[in-house]
Amino acid sequence: MRRVLSGLIAAVFVAAMVIGGGEAFASKGTIKIGSVYIFSGFAATYGQFAKQGLELAVDEINKSGGVLGKKLEVYFEDSHAKPPIALRAIRKLVYEKGVDFLIGLDSSGVAKGVVPYLKELKVPLLITHAATPDVTGSQCNKYTFRVSVNINQNVMAAARIAAKTKAVKWTTIGPDYAFGHQSWEYFQKYLSKLNPRAKFMKTVAFPKIATEDYSPYITAIMAAKPDGVFISLWSGDLVNFIKQANKMGFFNQGYTVLMSLGAATEVLYALRDQMPTGVWVGTRYWFLANNSPVNKHFVEAYKARYGVYPSYNAQNAYAAVYALKAAIEKAGTTDRMAVIKALEGLKVEVPAGDIYIRPGDHQAVLNVTWGSTAEDPKYPIRILKPMVIFKGEEVTPPVWETGCKLQ
Amino acid sequence: METLLINILNGLCYGMLLFIISLGLTIIFGVMGVLNFAHGSFYMLGAYLGLWLALHLHSFWLALLVAPLLVGALGAISEIALLRPLYNRDVSFQLLLTFGVLLILDDAVKLIWGAGYHSIDAPKGLSGTVHLLGSTYPVYRLFIAIIGPVIAVVLWFFFHKTAWGKMIRAAAMDREMASAIGINVPLLFTAVFFFGTLLAGMAGVLAAPLRAVGPAMGDNIIIAAFIVVVVGGLGSFVGAFAGAIVLGLVEALGVQFVPHLQMALPYMLLALVLLVRPRGLFGSE
Repeated sequence: MRRVLSGLIAAVFVAAMVIGGGEAFASKGTIKIGSVYIFSGFAATYGQFAKQGLELAVDEINKSGGVLGKKLEVYFEDSHAKPPIALRAIRKLVYEKGVDFLIGLDSSGVAKGVVPYLKELKVPLLITHAATPDVTGSQCNKYTFRVSVNINQNVMAAARIAAKTKAVKWTTIGPDYAFGHQSWEYFQKYLSKLNPRAKFMKTVAFPKIATEDYSPYITAIMAAKPDGVFISLWSGDLVNFIKQANKMGFFNQGYTVLMSLGAATEVLYALRDQMPTGVWVGTRYWFLANNSPVNKHFVEAYKARYGVYPSYNAQNAYAAVYALKAAIEKAGTTDRMAVIKALEGLKVEVPAGDIYIRPGDHQAVLNVTWGSTAEDPKYPIRILKPMVIFKGEEVTPPVWETGCKLQ
Repeated sequence: METLLINILNGLCYGMLLFIISLGLTIIFGVMGVLNFAHGSFYMLGAYLGLWLALHLHSFWLALLVAPLLVGALGAISEIALLRPLYNRDVSFQLLLTFGVLLILDDAVKLIWGAGYHSIDAPKGLSGTVHLLGSTYPVYRLFIAIIGPVIAVVLWFFFHKTAWGKMIRAAAMDREMASAIGINVPLLFTAVFFFGTLLAGMAGVLAAPLRAVGPAMGDNIIIAAFIVVVVGGLGSFVGAFAGAIVLGLVEALGVQFVPHLQMALPYMLLALVLLVRPRGLFGSE
């Protein structure tokens, strides 16, 4: 008993030394990254995916010698999906932990609340999920970059698919905040240009986030008899909606259905064979869209470590670390201003493909994948068949159209 | 017209689910005077346990039987271990404590089942659809709409015709008097908390086939349940039933007639009741 006790005391002592001393040693030869995602509440799965992708990239890089000989070190904070909490978390990371770079942000609402303050913090942020056009548009600034697909790109691709279908009368079901409304706004804008015959119905549905019961919305949309329905619900909300819509016969009405984030793996894993087939779904990364060795390596490594196919949030976070590595190496220094310069116009290969960060608005130009859901005995989830890949240049609006003016 | 009828059905189905949740909340408050913030988390736990048991026991019905009992047992344990020492203190202590239980349960569920979403289908026999009013309607939703009134009738009999039911009502009216005439009030409280959380768990299992089972799924429903209980009258059994139907219909018909006000409607209803009839539709003075 005494030996157990003394062993325990020794263990605690050692642990205290390692934890306590770690920080002082670490700060010398490391590059500190602060990372803010949603780790609690209904969308906690997004933070978890991002963390997994990020840690995979960091471990790979550190194992092969780090960046400029320095190891990467990441600190995570929870945004609770709320802008003020995210901002507090970022301030804590910058002032207390002394991070050099920031990676993160789920939710357009959070991003819009945080981005203006980067000018005072003077730390570059690589956004990997939040998709509002504003942060690389009207709100754009020197410190804000995005390495992932935004609403414009995703919805432009949706409009191209919609224009090829027979559907004329369109309506939408989307979450009642910036993301849902902007998605619908851009969908109308792009589709009306591609197909002047397209009509946009008065009956639309914008249920609040985390709605329990979608049945009244489903009934309302079905009663309006549309030809096409554009759906921008995401995560658990999309799972809720699909389950309830399935039972109400929504998918048997012959509508052309487009779900801008329907190919998110967490949704497909939750629903499995309850996910209807023949529905057009978009995503910000699809693990089967690219045959490159970089993607193959990522998918295999991720699946081996975490047991599932990588979601877009995992890839985007993984890609951000490699983009940052490329920028630091291009700059030859970890000086923030030099890295910002290096990020502007950076070309780097990530699992999603080649990405190019435009100097004009700091938005990444990359391929966008859509597809129609289909069954495949080789996969536990629905996959995309046929799959349509849009070239980044085709679906990214020119800088002048985004409203971004970088000095 | 058909849309209206379908939407009334939609509202009734959601309302009955709300009723089962709110009933537990209102019974616990009515008898013990405890406003249980963690009630939504017991609902969530019911959904997770129901899903897990249904997968492992290969029977939704068995899960519907066992999961609520487990949730109720955990409720009883938390009453004995956590709430009981606080009865003599200010009400705010109980509020804080149940809020703490909410946080613990939310994180525990994430630790055990992960942060992802899960889904199960309705049990065989109820997973289909029927033709109704010119459109197809899910059988399972009708089942929920029917099970609510069944529970209401059974409980009404329990409270008015059985000795235990009468004891609970006596304790709700006057704790000291009940204890003076020989009712074991602490045991009764534990039983009431067991039963209230059991109802929350049962609602969770029943809700699982309708939605994504995921983290924090109780945090939204608890707000709706609070609105139901306040509108119906705190502690009132009939009030919970009426409040749930009213809120269910307001949500469903609001979407149809005033979609722009949809988000505000439940709160407008709450404000209206508080202004005009602060004790709720069926609350006692």
